[in-house]
Amino acid sequence: MIHRYPRSPIHLALILASFVMLVPFYWVLKTSVSGENIYAYPPSIIPRNVNLFYYVDVWYAIPFARYFMNSVAVSVIAVIGNVAFNAMAAYALTHGFRGKSFVVLLFLSCMMVPFQATIIPAYLITGRLGLLDSWLGLALPQCSTIICIFVFKASFDAVPRSLIDAARIDGLSEWRIIWHIMMPLSKSAIATNVILAFIWSWNNFLWPLIMTRSADMQTLPLGLARFLSYQEDTTGALYAFCIMVLAPGLLLFLLAQKEFIRGLTSGATKG
Amino acid sequence: MKRRSLVKGALAATGTLAAPAYLRAQSSKKLSILTWNIADQQELFKVEFAEFKAANPGVEIEWLDKKGPDLPAFYQTQIVAGTPPDIVDLQGMIWVDYAAKGGLVDLTPYLQAEPEVAKRFNPDYLSGWIYQGKTYLLPFYVAKSLLYWNKTMFKEAGLGGPPQSFAELIGFAEKMAKAEKTGFLTLNFDWLYWPLFKMNGVELLSADGKKVAFNTPQAVDALAQLAKATEAGGVNKISWTGRWVEPNGAFASGTVGMLHAHSASYFFVKGQGPWINDQTLGAAEAPGFWSTPTNHGFAISKGSKNPDLAWSFIKFMTSDKCASAFFKTRSVLTANIVADKEGLANLEKTEPLAAAVLRTQIAHTDKLTGNWPLPYDAELKDAFWPEIQNAALGRKDAKTALADAEKAVNRLLSRKKA
Amino acid sequence: MVFLKEPMTPPALRATSPLRGEAIRLRHRTRRALLYWCFLAPSLAIFLLYRIIPIVWNLVLSFQYWSPLGEAEPAGFDHYEDLLQDDVFWQALWNTLIVIGSAPIGIVIALALALLVNSDIRGRDVYRTIIFVSYPLMTVAVAIIWRWMFDERVGLINYAARTLDLIDKPIPFLNSFTWALPSVIVANIWQILGFYMIILLTGLQTIPHELHEAAAIDGAGPVHRFWRITLPLLRPSIFLAFVIGMLNSITSFDLVYVMTGGGPGRATEILVTYIYKLGFVQTKFDEAAAVTMVFFVLLIATAWAANRLAGGNVGAMDTE
Repeated sequence: MIHRYPRSPIHLALILASFVMLVPFYWVLKTSVSGENIYAYPPSIIPRNVNLFYYVDVWYAIPFARYFMNSVAVSVIAVIGNVAFNAMAAYALTHGFRGKSFVVLLFLSCMMVPFQATIIPAYLITGRLGLLDSWLGLALPQCSTIICIFVFKASFDAVPRSLIDAARIDGLSEWRIIWHIMMPLSKSAIATNVILAFIWSWNNFLWPLIMTRSADMQTLPLGLARFLSYQEDTTGALYAFCIMVLAPGLLLFLLAQKEFIRGLTSGATKG
Repeated sequence: MKRRSLVKGALAATGTLAAPAYLRAQSSKKLSILTWNIADQQELFKVEFAEFKAANPGVEIEWLDKKGPDLPAFYQTQIVAGTPPDIVDLQGMIWVDYAAKGGLVDLTPYLQAEPEVAKRFNPDYLSGWIYQGKTYLLPFYVAKSLLYWNKTMFKEAGLGGPPQSFAELIGFAEKMAKAEKTGFLTLNFDWLYWPLFKMNGVELLSADGKKVAFNTPQAVDALAQLAKATEAGGVNKISWTGRWVEPNGAFASGTVGMLHAHSASYFFVKGQGPWINDQTLGAAEAPGFWSTPTNHGFAISKGSKNPDLAWSFIKFMTSDKCASAFFKTRSVLTANIVADKEGLANLEKTEPLAAAVLRTQIAHTDKLTGNWPLPYDAELKDAFWPEIQNAALGRKDAKTALADAEKAVNRLLSRKKA
Repeated sequence: MVFLKEPMTPPALRATSPLRGEAIRLRHRTRRALLYWCFLAPSLAIFLLYRIIPIVWNLVLSFQYWSPLGEAEPAGFDHYEDLLQDDVFWQALWNTLIVIGSAPIGIVIALALALLVNSDIRGRDVYRTIIFVSYPLMTVAVAIIWRWMFDERVGLINYAARTLDLIDKPIPFLNSFTWALPSVIVANIWQILGFYMIILLTGLQTIPHELHEAAAIDGAGPVHRFWRITLPLLRPSIFLAFVIGMLNSITSFDLVYVMTGGGPGRATEILVTYIYKLGFVQTKFDEAAAVTMVFFVLLIATAWAANRLAGGNVGAMDTE
């Protein structure tokens, strides 16, 4: 950088922004560990009577481990599906062929379909496929997302044409070009796909609600229903549950974001 | 060799991924039962289901439970898919919609063949499940509205006991209103606020259900008074805007003089308010003894493959034995006469305050209101309620609000073919 | 020169006659095209099953009278006519437009944050992570958290405002006709801010430093450089952020449903919650289908309009 801007105002602004982003978390966290009546006024800033009772309550109130495993299974399938299918579709879209603009427009309009309006037909279709109440059935609608296809496409577009042509001359099939040339150069796009696909699949609430019948197929967000039940006054446990569901998505982001950064900064120096 | 085992492994994995869990269990007869938000009854149901299975060998029971707002979405998807649960626990008036569209099995023939079943139940509660002369549900548990009153706040304001008329109710409310404190709060879902109008002699619709009957001077007056009291702080605004947690929480904080809610509120409020005991909380009936029920009943889906078996099951679940057990674990009235009598007697000794609350539930069951069996109940609420809110919160004056409500409801009624 | 546009043909084939070469190249091209269609197939299949067929189902249903327990009868345009008279529909439409219109606010804030994070300061990774941390949270959880924040009695917003003497009586945010929708929008922006920022950050990172440096040498100040260099090159990212913001009016179903249920009255009812209620609460799937079609057309029209504003041709997404 040529110009050196004064640092402190930037830090100040960012600290303020961080504060705004983190405060709601803190507020919920403090509620989930406080042992007193959460409706008491004035609310305490520092939790009084800290104990982890609510977290224990959540663990025993619902089959947390089972739900967790279901969520993990479904999300893993969704992530694998996304990375594979999106990369293939994006690669196809980096080339010109007849009907390509039609496909692009189709994808874009698919984004505009509200999920709530698709519940019944989606359920019927999944039933026809014999995938009701199964991990694959839960994951299938999420196995490809349009935004992520375009993320891959943007990344693939940046790969120099010469590289691909050279590979073709060397006799590499298109399939192998995707996996051996494009993907290694698109680490940040892969990271983005993984993060987004995981988050969207992990947090999905309405689809598993409609789709699962047996209790042991339910995913973690559905355990929420237990705590939104109005016959229980376990509202402290509700907030503990929110924190517990948040953890994996956040963890994944923290792990995957390193690749993300590397991809971003290397992209910049490429000019 | 490696490749083949890989392929085999992949196919096996896809198989487990795809095979629906509930199909893996094979049995000769299967009953699925969908309940409304009572997942906490796991222990009791385990015992009861085992008993039923012992009496009916070869039967598998699948138990599903969904939260209130999610149940209709789930149930309807299952109907469209052709796999509705055999038995469904429904709350409020949503059953009428399903019954009108032919989605529920008419239980009248069963009841006629076995008259001693009907005799178990409080007749007023049983008749709540009749639509066009046919009974569609058996009572599971009931809750109707009552008036909780904060004895401490009453004493402070120099009031002797609960109000006996609408005028007293408004008057007391205004007397207790001071700074943070308000005098009256009501729940508003499922027509729970309707007794406030009924005690002023207001009817919602004409007897045949075809015309609006609520746009009367008494209604305008009552609504205007409520609006005025809301503005002055006598009636808590949350009455018109809150759902469950806010109104009950507000009363639990000890700053509201009266709460007009159903018996289920008692347990929520008690959990939140450590000040509550029989010296500080009173349970009375609303002026005029009017109350709105929000009841739960068992229905059999039309798409059920084992309706007779389903009938035996709901007969079993509402039997004296099961109803008593349910009363004990849930402390809720079941509409089963024997079970309720026994349960109340026990409760008097262990928890007199809870008993007092539940006693209101079997009192004056001939004065139930706000429970019209209309298939378009949800739309009716949608047309009527927003105008009440508008008036109560001061956005419109009572006269205009009711006139607009009349227009909206008339438009709704004119579009109904039945 | 036509050789450069097409995939390279193996040297052996170039030796044959031009016509034969043309035929062979055509066969290669068709085979290639077929291959690309195969690559597109899995994604297309998923969208076909879970988006295209459902929207067609809705389209057909919107012209019929149907309930889950009965047979379908033709209804012509009845449902659409009913919509014109339906106050709730217009309210929901209006609220949806407000929600879509609030996306630029979030994008502007995110852009400011992206610029700050992009600058050469220590700990930028930490800031970036903190700002993104709201996105991995379940929307239902976001709704629960913010419902708690806006709570009239013990919510932080009211508590802070009262402690700072800004107000003397607590404001019932989620129960007030004026404050409910803005409160929901605040929660919405909070959740998606990090996502916008990441998109814009990625866009910022692709702007070569040399452009800025050259302009600076020429004497252009930072503001000037922002408007003339950064912003135009950021157009595709801004367009993408806006599209995502628009789609938010769909995905904020959980947020509205859990925070306010559409209330008070219809103050926070948006089209997608109305669709859900019509279908699953009132069992009127045919009317819900009509609203769905209107919503779908609205979104496509807005996307198209935004595309034109962003400089045509779907930004950088449709390079040949």
